[in-house]
Amino acid sequence: MTRWLGSAYDWIDERAAIRNLLRKGLYEAVPVRGSWFYTLGSATLILIILQLVTGIFLTLLYVPSVKEAWESLNYVKQHDTFGSIVRGIHLWSAYILLFVIGLHMVRTFFSGSYKRPRELNWVTGVILFVLVLGMAITGAFLPWDQAAYWTAVVVTNIPSYTPLIGSFVRALWRGGDAVGPITLVRTFGIHIWLLPVILFPLIGVHLALLRKHGEFGSYVNYRGAYRTRQGVDVPPAPPQRRIEPPYPAAPSEELWAAPLEAEDFYPHQTFKDGVVSAALVLLVFALAVAIGAPLEAAADPSTTSYTPVPEWFYLPLDQLLVLVPRELIPLVLVLPAGGVLLLLALPFIDRGPERNPFERPAVMIPGVFAVLFMLILTLLGSGRLFNL
Amino acid sequence: MALPERRRLSRRQFAVLGTQVAGAIVTLALGIPIIGFLISPLFRKQAFTERRVGDISSVGTDPVKFEVTFPQNAWDVPEVKAAVYVVRIGNTVKVLSNVCTHMQCPVRWENALQKFLCPCHGGLYKRDGSYDGGPPPKPLPEYVHRLDGNILYVTNEFTESI
Repeated sequence: MTRWLGSAYDWIDERAAIRNLLRKGLYEAVPVRGSWFYTLGSATLILIILQLVTGIFLTLLYVPSVKEAWESLNYVKQHDTFGSIVRGIHLWSAYILLFVIGLHMVRTFFSGSYKRPRELNWVTGVILFVLVLGMAITGAFLPWDQAAYWTAVVVTNIPSYTPLIGSFVRALWRGGDAVGPITLVRTFGIHIWLLPVILFPLIGVHLALLRKHGEFGSYVNYRGAYRTRQGVDVPPAPPQRRIEPPYPAAPSEELWAAPLEAEDFYPHQTFKDGVVSAALVLLVFALAVAIGAPLEAAADPSTTSYTPVPEWFYLPLDQLLVLVPRELIPLVLVLPAGGVLLLLALPFIDRGPERNPFERPAVMIPGVFAVLFMLILTLLGSGRLFNL
Repeated sequence: MALPERRRLSRRQFAVLGTQVAGAIVTLALGIPIIGFLISPLFRKQAFTERRVGDISSVGTDPVKFEVTFPQNAWDVPEVKAAVYVVRIGNTVKVLSNVCTHMQCPVRWENALQKFLCPCHGGLYKRDGSYDGGPPPKPLPEYVHRLDGNILYVTNEFTESI
């Protein structure tokens, strides 16, 4: 049996070179120190794959029509225990994904991993982050319950404050002046096709770039970590350090070629990745079973008693809508757009070789303030909506 | 007489040009209908429908909510419910929509406040729909309407676009 499997493997390998592919995928050097932090990236990937799998199965029952969207999900809620769990997993893994992708970004920001030659890793990462936010917000429209309907109304109305082309953009998304049948179908198409066909190839690019340059890790993995303020290396680099792929044998910048200590991606890093991802998947499963995905009453555009409450990840923007005075409403577009542009520009603004976060106050201080600003908006928003 | 050597299109240049032209033709042939299809709802004229709301003789100086159904803006089934606030201001009747002009949330009449309140971002309107406070940039939209005695008919169209 084993022998038969072995020869089948050889047969395929001779034609498809899978052995080489596996070796390339699994045997890479990864910096030793701080490697639990590197699990955030793989956890993001696992959660996105979880979204893909549960999303595919949800399309097997969900009907993307204003007449039947809510009915189809209500049917699942009433009569289909496993269906409810799948929907719960889709919702909770989305929530946790947004959280983990944020941490992944913060980690990269703190460690200065976005610097040369990894600028494009960062840029693709920022685009992926925006696409994931797009997935989250379009997904929130689909149940067509009260929460979904009013999210759709408010979110599609925000672009109408773009100068000159505002009402055009709104009508393009809505498929008319008002939220209606075309809005739901368009948003469904964006959610299951348009964004994923950009998202998944870009994940491929992000990973290929990671493999090209290797995990940077943190400055503590490098000779420069021990630099004192006087510029003396303590201790000096080990004399005969083995340079391992994918790290360059010749330093591309003086101090940042290969890390001081590296270990094999498989099984050392995959073990840590596996532990963290499994813990997150179990957490998602537990939340899906214990809480599940809510479904409010069906959409009622004529309501005068319903108070729309935005999704938690959208609270900072919702609080901006409250705080920005009526004369300056386009600010609610300018601030997030400016934030994304600044994130994209980050590796081209902070170009020096310094990776130590404590030596980079020019980006760390604004970065910390930006995160605090978002947190304060979230707190103000939840205080307003839940009377905390 | 043959053209000078350097002026002639080489076999290679011809192939490059041909590839580019073929690519451009395919891009246009696919791009024009797809973009046209995408933006077609923008140029479709909205069909306006007039519906009977009811008898408004009992409406006083406090806004009263009525409900009416209209066809949707694309295929028109199922019809969609809309709230209509009717209020008497002096001798005139105001027929207001409950769509907030800020982010189009569902505005409600708060009797205790004697104001229209938007629950989303705290927009406030006076009883006649005019701006009172918060982020809304404009007063509450007014429906195009018709009174036949005390019977109110409204059209799914606002007097001013929002």
